[in-house]
Amino acid sequence: MTPQESVLERPEVSAPEPWSFPDAQRSGLANGLGVVSYDIPGQYVISVCLAVPMPLECEPRDREGIATIMARTLDEGTALHTAEEFAELLERKGIALGAGVSDAGLVVNLDVSKRHLSEALDLLSQAVREPVFPANEVSRHIKSRLAEIDQERAVPGQRAAIEFIATYFDADERGSRPSAGTKSTVSAITPQDLVAFHAVNVVPAGATVVIAGDLSDLDVVSEIEQALGSWNGVAAEVVEARESARAPDATRVVFLDRPGSVQTEFYVGCPGPDHFVDGGWAPYQVLGFVVGGSPNARVDAVLREDKGFTYGIRSGFRPRRRGGMFLTSGSVRADSTVEALGLLLDILDKAREGFTEEETQAGVDFIGRTAPGRYATADTVAEEAAGLSLEGLTTEFTTANLLALADVDAAALAAAYDRYVNGEWTVVIVGDASLYAEGVRGLDRGEVTVLPA
Amino acid sequence: MPLDYKIAERTLANGLRVIVSEDHSVPNVTVNLWVNVGSRHEVEGRTGFAHLFEHLMFQGSRNVAPGEHFSALMAAGGRLNATTWFDRTNYFETVPRGAMDLALWMEADRHGRLLDAVNQENLDNQRDVVKEEKRQRYDNMPYGNALIDIYAAIFPKGHPYHHATIGSMADLDAASVQDVHDFFRSHYGPNNTVLALVGDLTPDEGFAAAERYFGPLPATAGARREPVESLAPLPAPVRDEHIEDVPSDHLYIAFRLPLDDTPEFFASSLAMDVIGGLTTSRLCRRLVRREQSATSVSAHAMGFVDGISLGFMMIDVADGFSADAVESAVCDELVRFAEQGPTEIEMESAMAQTERSWLSSLASQEERADHICHFATLQGDSGYINTYLDRLAEVTPALVQQAAARWLRPKSRAVVAYLKQDGDTQ
Repeated sequence: MTPQESVLERPEVSAPEPWSFPDAQRSGLANGLGVVSYDIPGQYVISVCLAVPMPLECEPRDREGIATIMARTLDEGTALHTAEEFAELLERKGIALGAGVSDAGLVVNLDVSKRHLSEALDLLSQAVREPVFPANEVSRHIKSRLAEIDQERAVPGQRAAIEFIATYFDADERGSRPSAGTKSTVSAITPQDLVAFHAVNVVPAGATVVIAGDLSDLDVVSEIEQALGSWNGVAAEVVEARESARAPDATRVVFLDRPGSVQTEFYVGCPGPDHFVDGGWAPYQVLGFVVGGSPNARVDAVLREDKGFTYGIRSGFRPRRRGGMFLTSGSVRADSTVEALGLLLDILDKAREGFTEEETQAGVDFIGRTAPGRYATADTVAEEAAGLSLEGLTTEFTTANLLALADVDAAALAAAYDRYVNGEWTVVIVGDASLYAEGVRGLDRGEVTVLPA
Repeated sequence: MPLDYKIAERTLANGLRVIVSEDHSVPNVTVNLWVNVGSRHEVEGRTGFAHLFEHLMFQGSRNVAPGEHFSALMAAGGRLNATTWFDRTNYFETVPRGAMDLALWMEADRHGRLLDAVNQENLDNQRDVVKEEKRQRYDNMPYGNALIDIYAAIFPKGHPYHHATIGSMADLDAASVQDVHDFFRSHYGPNNTVLALVGDLTPDEGFAAAERYFGPLPATAGARREPVESLAPLPAPVRDEHIEDVPSDHLYIAFRLPLDDTPEFFASSLAMDVIGGLTTSRLCRRLVRREQSATSVSAHAMGFVDGISLGFMMIDVADGFSADAVESAVCDELVRFAEQGPTEIEMESAMAQTERSWLSSLASQEERADHICHFATLQGDSGYINTYLDRLAEVTPALVQQAAARWLRPKSRAVVAYLKQDGDTQ
């Protein structure tokens, strides 16, 4: 027998080294384009994000999804190149170019190894300034989006998310409908619509280009000037940001019937703040962690680690340009549906009674001390800066928010939670309604509507 | 481009290989451990066990309470997890430098002294959690079991890669506390583990810390078996068809590929890129752009170490087109590619995209540490991250063609088809 080896004392954790978010260099071009750069030594793949403010409210009601189709077809044919030629130019230099939209705007992402940066910026510029939206490519992307809509309806988590916004937001709000459009609105989009939408909305004034990575020996501003200096356009009409209204009957349960489901998907939410909230954003980040951010957070400590009902359920505050939501989502074993939903809502409600100093400190330390790693790579820094720019913020916000964590205590968490969470939940369930809808009604958590999935 | 990430290696007396990669760009250290055990080592009737075991590694050990691995390290600013795959199991956390010792102490405790904490209750709980993972990722998702079907179709029954890492519900139900003890004693121990420390530390600091916490552990893991015998390409096509309530027809067309970390594997992987992986791939140009008979095409090569690897293409058939016609177009392109090989531009593109994605994957300490452990564990080479691109660059167009001609022939394909129930195709 081997003698039992002696075990060392559990090591203490020493205080973290000082760290700050990478420094930004800011400038601007004559056409109104803001330029922000972050020199991060050792990051050999350069990330570029071009953020163009474009609230989804600016889409025509009968063409919703046009911003998404535009984002997907920017590089599918330009003034100088066909779609296939353009794709080949990107791939021969190992360039990854993509674009997408959020409720606040368009973000075009570019990743490229440093030595091909100039060619990559030139191609980015062509895609942004001179797309021609060829009819064949547009119709292909519309068909592809229609197929995607069918896929989204078939995946329980996505199905729940679509129904959630439809239930939560007032029907007059853009936010109540899918960002990428519905079958009828997407089918109606023409190449002419895209040309017009692009001309009005994709302009340099108010847009920001962020470049992050190992920028040593690069003249970033001159590279950007060369690529995007001749981009022009009349500044788009500014759509004043405002909070979207919640539906008058949002406090209820919608059960989407998906017969034979071996799991049940939950999507539960109520209002939350945006980044500009009085008292600061920091407590809400901590709350997301403490309530539903880890296997030992309040939700999974019960539903996963005690009951074994789920692989994991996550909660978090989701800011929009103005206003936001507190969302909790995940799936549970089908035959635990009723018990799991009751437990989940009880946990979320009971959190209004407050948090311990220990769990508060754990959350504060997790958010604060993981920041150096979360913002260590070029792509994460560029995405953070680009996303904030669409809200009119800079990464000074990120830095200030991290500093503000020092003042978050249990009382601050309780006050922040109590400010938004009042038990008025919008609940969407995707599962086998024939087996579990009656049980959910029995929980007495609001009116239950059963619909086909 | 020559890469020069710093690599220092030492093996402790108990067999633990320790690799330190010094990088002071962020005040963090990534602790990454690879254990050379995966689902390929599972025995009949116990599929899914390596992964279930990985879950139990978070349920406490002699000096660590259940769940404390997550809670203590996250509260110290750690981001952590573990994964199980065919060939291996990995455990990792990225922590502030001042929490590195705690992370190593906790890792050593569970990698050396797990069994004191294993009991029926935490086995039952994590069995339930894993079953929900399986339902969430596979059983309750359209096409969710497609990869599982591919493995079963292309590798013979009893082969290490015939069954998926997630395993079967029946086998998960059968797992016992005794199985946990047996598995730990057979596979876990410093002599079957590689530890990488990447970040804000010097090699000497890393080796000293590894010795301090892992040095006392005995070399408990049993000897590794030899790799199983190599497989040849499938001699004739295999087909597995599912008529289900899915939104569109999907085709998964799979091939056996050569062993990982060989010029032939690199060549077959580049061939997969050119045929179906790039946005300018032959199948993307023909099916997605021109014929518009598919809404998307993708291709993936998975390198394995036990006698064979795997490549597969996924094709989402467009509404109104026949899956059979699309499959036959794919076969045409496979034949053509095997005859022609790649063009100069195709080679340039596949190389350039591989280079950029490789450099992106090395950008974070976490992924760099994982790559280091991967190659040290499965290929023996701790410095692989610096030389991979140079080795890839040695692959010639002729080798790509030869690999395709041997491995990517239509007759060697396994097709898993998920077809819509109502059959409204032409």
